[in-house]
Amino acid sequence: MPELERLTERLAAVLPPDAVITDPVRLRTYECDGLTHHRATPGVVVLPGTAEQVAAVVRLCGEHGVPFVARGSGTGLSGGALPRTDGVLIVTSRMRRIVEIDIPNRRAVVEPGVTNLAITEAVRDRGYYYAPDPSSQQVCSIGGNVAENSGGAHCLKYGFTVNHVLAAEIVTPDGEIVELSADDPGYDLLGAFIGSEGTLGIATRITVRLSRAPEAVTTLLAAFTGIEAGGRAVSAIIAAGVVPAAIEMMDALAIEAAEAAVHCRYPAGAGAVLVVELDGPRAEVEHQFAAVERLCRDNGAFEIRVAASAEERAAIWKGRKSAFAAVGRISPAYIVQDGVVPRTALPRVLAGIDRLQEEYGIRVANVFHAGDGNLHPLVLFDDSVPGEPERAEAVSGRILDLCVEHGGSITGEHGVGVDKARYMPRMFTEDDLDTMQLVRCAFDPRGLANPGKVFPTPRLCGEAPGVRRGAHPLVEAGLAEQF
Amino acid sequence: MDPELIRDCVHCGFCLPTCPTYVLWGEEMDSPRGRIHLMGQHVEGTPVTDAMAGHFDACLGCMACVTACPSGVRYDRLIEQTRAVVEREHVRRPDERAIRALVFALFPYRRRLRAMRLPMRLSRRLQPLLERVNPSLGAMAELAPGVPRPVRLPPLVRARRRRRTRVGLLTGCVQGEFFPQVNAATARVLALEGCDVVIPPRQGCCGALSLHAGREAEARRFARRTIAAFERAGVDAVVVNAAGCGSSMKDYAEVLADEPGWAARAEALRTRDLAEFLAELGPVAERRPLPVTVAYHDACHLAHAQGVRAQPRELLRAIPGLELRELEESAICCGSAGTYNLFRPEAARQLGDRKAERVLAAGADVLVSANPGCTMQIAAAVRRAGKGEIRVAHTAEVLDASLRGLEPGILGRSPMRRRRTR
Amino acid sequence: MDVAENALAATGVEIRAAGDEVAGVRPRLVALPGSAEEIAAVMRACAAHDLAAVATGGRTKLHWGARPERCDVLVDLSRMNRVLEHTAGDLVVRAQAGVTLEALADALAGENQELALDVPVPGTTVGGLLATGIAGPRRFRYGTARDLLIGVTVVLADGTIARSGGKVVKNVAGYDLGKLFTGSYGTLGIIADATFRLHPLPAARAWVTATVERPVTETDGTWTNEDGLTFETLTTDLAASLAAAVPAVTESQLEPSAVEIDWPDVKGPCTVAVLVEGAAAAERAKALCGLMGELMGETAEVTEEPPPWWGRLPEPPGRAAEPPGAKPAAPHAGQILLEVRNASSRLAETFLGFLQAAQVTGFRAVLRGSLAAQVLHIALPPDTEPALVAGFTSQLRAGLGEQARVVVLAAPPEAARRLDRWGRVGALSLMRRVKERFDPGRRLSPGRFVGGI
Repeated sequence: MPELERLTERLAAVLPPDAVITDPVRLRTYECDGLTHHRATPGVVVLPGTAEQVAAVVRLCGEHGVPFVARGSGTGLSGGALPRTDGVLIVTSRMRRIVEIDIPNRRAVVEPGVTNLAITEAVRDRGYYYAPDPSSQQVCSIGGNVAENSGGAHCLKYGFTVNHVLAAEIVTPDGEIVELSADDPGYDLLGAFIGSEGTLGIATRITVRLSRAPEAVTTLLAAFTGIEAGGRAVSAIIAAGVVPAAIEMMDALAIEAAEAAVHCRYPAGAGAVLVVELDGPRAEVEHQFAAVERLCRDNGAFEIRVAASAEERAAIWKGRKSAFAAVGRISPAYIVQDGVVPRTALPRVLAGIDRLQEEYGIRVANVFHAGDGNLHPLVLFDDSVPGEPERAEAVSGRILDLCVEHGGSITGEHGVGVDKARYMPRMFTEDDLDTMQLVRCAFDPRGLANPGKVFPTPRLCGEAPGVRRGAHPLVEAGLAEQF
Repeated sequence: MDPELIRDCVHCGFCLPTCPTYVLWGEEMDSPRGRIHLMGQHVEGTPVTDAMAGHFDACLGCMACVTACPSGVRYDRLIEQTRAVVEREHVRRPDERAIRALVFALFPYRRRLRAMRLPMRLSRRLQPLLERVNPSLGAMAELAPGVPRPVRLPPLVRARRRRRTRVGLLTGCVQGEFFPQVNAATARVLALEGCDVVIPPRQGCCGALSLHAGREAEARRFARRTIAAFERAGVDAVVVNAAGCGSSMKDYAEVLADEPGWAARAEALRTRDLAEFLAELGPVAERRPLPVTVAYHDACHLAHAQGVRAQPRELLRAIPGLELRELEESAICCGSAGTYNLFRPEAARQLGDRKAERVLAAGADVLVSANPGCTMQIAAAVRRAGKGEIRVAHTAEVLDASLRGLEPGILGRSPMRRRRTR
Repeated sequence: MDVAENALAATGVEIRAAGDEVAGVRPRLVALPGSAEEIAAVMRACAAHDLAAVATGGRTKLHWGARPERCDVLVDLSRMNRVLEHTAGDLVVRAQAGVTLEALADALAGENQELALDVPVPGTTVGGLLATGIAGPRRFRYGTARDLLIGVTVVLADGTIARSGGKVVKNVAGYDLGKLFTGSYGTLGIIADATFRLHPLPAARAWVTATVERPVTETDGTWTNEDGLTFETLTTDLAASLAAAVPAVTESQLEPSAVEIDWPDVKGPCTVAVLVEGAAAAERAKALCGLMGELMGETAEVTEEPPPWWGRLPEPPGRAAEPPGAKPAAPHAGQILLEVRNASSRLAETFLGFLQAAQVTGFRAVLRGSLAAQVLHIALPPDTEPALVAGFTSQLRAGLGEQARVVVLAAPPEAARRLDRWGRVGALSLMRRVKERFDPGRRLSPGRFVGGI
């Protein structure tokens, strides 16, 4: 690939000497993000320190017709930052300055490599926090959160990244630096950009909303004998008009894993645990807590624990937040799935997952954001047993089918990336996807920004197969024919 | 490098923000996740290249990643195995080899260290010159603490009240030579809490420096000698007040795994960090008020390698009048990391500066540090920042002052006090 | 009937002649589709004959936005007025574009739920809400339409029917076209239906109001503007007292849902009202009441009913506020309405800037809006001279500074011609490229939006 070599030579001229990586051993460490079963060694890795450097790299990519992929902390679970062997991987891990903290206007301006949790840590003393809290918040970057529109356990009440980003400076696939702001008149390009998984450009500076810390937070852990009882409690809580900050559920297998990993000491014999967090003004929280406790007991909770301190709250959350990685303790290999169903369809979908486990002889641990129907089935398998990886992959795919059949989504927060692009047609028609492509073509007509992600079949922007334009007026009117 | 241990890593990246070199450089290859990936490449057949060895050498071995890892990856074992492979398979540059030879010929030997005191004091004036000759020599000169009054400890210190147990005390090479007053304080505190304290006079180096640098044979030799020394002492537990030494002694059984007889003897040795031991024993001696504000520094080999975080804080909080403050980024290494600040002076200095900034921000009267390497490293960084001499004391010294009813002003001053030389 | 009319009639969709004006342009025809497929048929016919189309629902904001370059067909969605799906347990509703927000609220109230958006213009439909992105007081706590929209069906200029999002709240599959269409003034496509996340109706609501009787006093001096006009000088300490009180309330852990101001006459009293929602609303309101009284030096009181102006756009001086629930008044083409956004920390500057600009129009200006979110609306009397409207706008922009955004939502054509309606627009070239892809033939509300899009 001589084009890439020519480009690499020119990259050295626009970047500091230690910011271009070409050594093959080093390059390989970037071959995957948090999803390890897709791997590709990047052609070259760059570590820019400024937006201008990012823009210069992107412009050079354009000049040479070389694709580029952006990467933050490399924790994504859909292969959204899977590199291109014929392309440039632009890593933002050196752009991690908190540029400004502006409490009177409730906002902070940060570079994309800043971790999600670092923002909260920087403002906690002043009574504020950054609301979206993906489980990987201690390591995932804000740039990655913007690309994926990350959620987290607390998005049930507080929404997603898109609801908390006020503005972003982006480098467009043309290499232009453009400011997108929620306050500006015009199209909500910021809203379209967030969650576009790096296909519309790279965010280089992000203005986030800071939220006022609630007066009171109450976290309770309720243990049930089985997942059905836990599910009934969730429905009852929602029906009672309570919007908790979070409602999380784990089944027996997930509890076992968390126990092995972090010794979270959840109640013995629990077939399911529910973590419910309530926050807000103290008077409201007390009111809601009484209701939630009663509803849990009414629906069969045999033990309820209430965190009395920040440490106890952290202990309850520790089991939940470590669950994904912890499954590594009880299974040699596993697939983390991410699907969404309408909350009312949860029992049917869980029953369907049970049937799949039997049918394929594959175990599935369930961890989910029960409040918004976001399932994270962990499909366990042993990759040394012939046939098991394939069966696990099949179960994982069938779970997504279940989600779509019940009116849900193939991804609630991990993104489509490279992993689920092939599932997109199960959820969207060709017209839907072609219409989304119009946005892509407006931003990136040459398709150089993270190609191969999100969309199953890359479309060309131009005359070639794209959206059907209305036929020529003369043809439509029967005055002319096209051959 | 055990492929099974490598496979435990699920590539989640939770270790990244805890890794000092990732914090500094933001490169995948200089994170635990990246290093494990490099180990995997080696297992698959990629030879140890200069680049690869450089990334392994850059690891401080602070083990913060082990604490952070939700999958229980044994990075500590992996990096030790890897360092041994690097030592065997990789040929270093001549200047690197020379410095390594110097350090390993000097630090594990108390008598040699003692002989170096005078030249070291002189060398501080020569530091700029040494820096130019070789940054590692410059770092050595910069770190060297003042020369304390020698403290001679008897082979046995009797319990000062009804005897509850009999323990051995590891005096350590650097601790013993540069911070003898810490050992004295440790012995007094133990005695006041009802312990007979045996201090074998002929104990040598525990082998920590060698072990953490991949010098396996040397490490095993030191380990066997230390085990034998404390077996002879006939104690219920070996109390260690230097974090690095404690962590390597706790690993003896794994280090000597190939020598079953020795592994069993290692297993039988009950090694405890001082704070851990005191917390298990429970207090009996009266704590007298000590009106002072302290900030507690987590030594990596205590917090991450031994999981001892709560106990020293509890001991400190139990002292009437003492206010305990936390440091920001307390889980990030100060850059001392055994011999790291000698071999990778530039990175160590950056980390030291970062730590000094946070230590100064805490605004405490005294910094409490339970590892001699950290103490020297942070003190040097604070000097570099132009903030003069910071008062640093070991947990043992703070407890000692409270048990004996001393004034807090004494903490972190004599006999470590040293003239400003610049 | 001409060829175009024939083609439209051939779609089977009901077609009528001559519709209401769209910002000064009268369409020849009105189409009344009853489904997304019928909208698509109309759009295909428009594409075939190069007819320009503008969508409307409740016809309440047809005079908003810039004058379209052309408008042949008004696509009236009022027949698409069905709530398609409301599963209470999922807290989600899907409704056709022509459903009015009042009708939607009625349907949801049966299950004790609501779409947590206010309706500043009575009679607004789901489609109109989205196309203009308009929001009311509770934007401070719940965000705006874009934040609660989770799925949308749109019909493009070529008749393609496309969906994005879905009917689950948490969903990151594919681009979020809903966000792109929200606030796009019908220039990218026609919204056929939308799905929203809902909230439980709060157990109780309480308002805290404090009125400043005479916020502005006259001084001896006079003041001359750029155009050489001389005015009397006023002074106020309202800006300072609000700048102290508003952050204290919005940043309070008592979590108000909204903080609004109503100032119907610059020389008359000004009212600040705070909404508190929840089971303990009364208790929290009481605590806020004390806080406000203390900081504003006025007596504050707690009520269970909103003040009459709550959640409505400001009315020009002399026009009485409509009681809530009243039948929407006919839209008036003479409406002059501005929207101001500024940083919260610049509240005092916003007020002084407003006061200065108001002098240009002889103080005939009404201010109302969200102090918490710093989105304020200003109405001028319909008979304000076009030159003064322009003068007011530019004076306001100058007074508020670079950071602020001043958009003229509605103005009569004569006034509109003299002023910069949108102010500074970032990323305009990207917006043009989006428009070019979605509507290359410029047949959807051409020219009605920023930068002539």
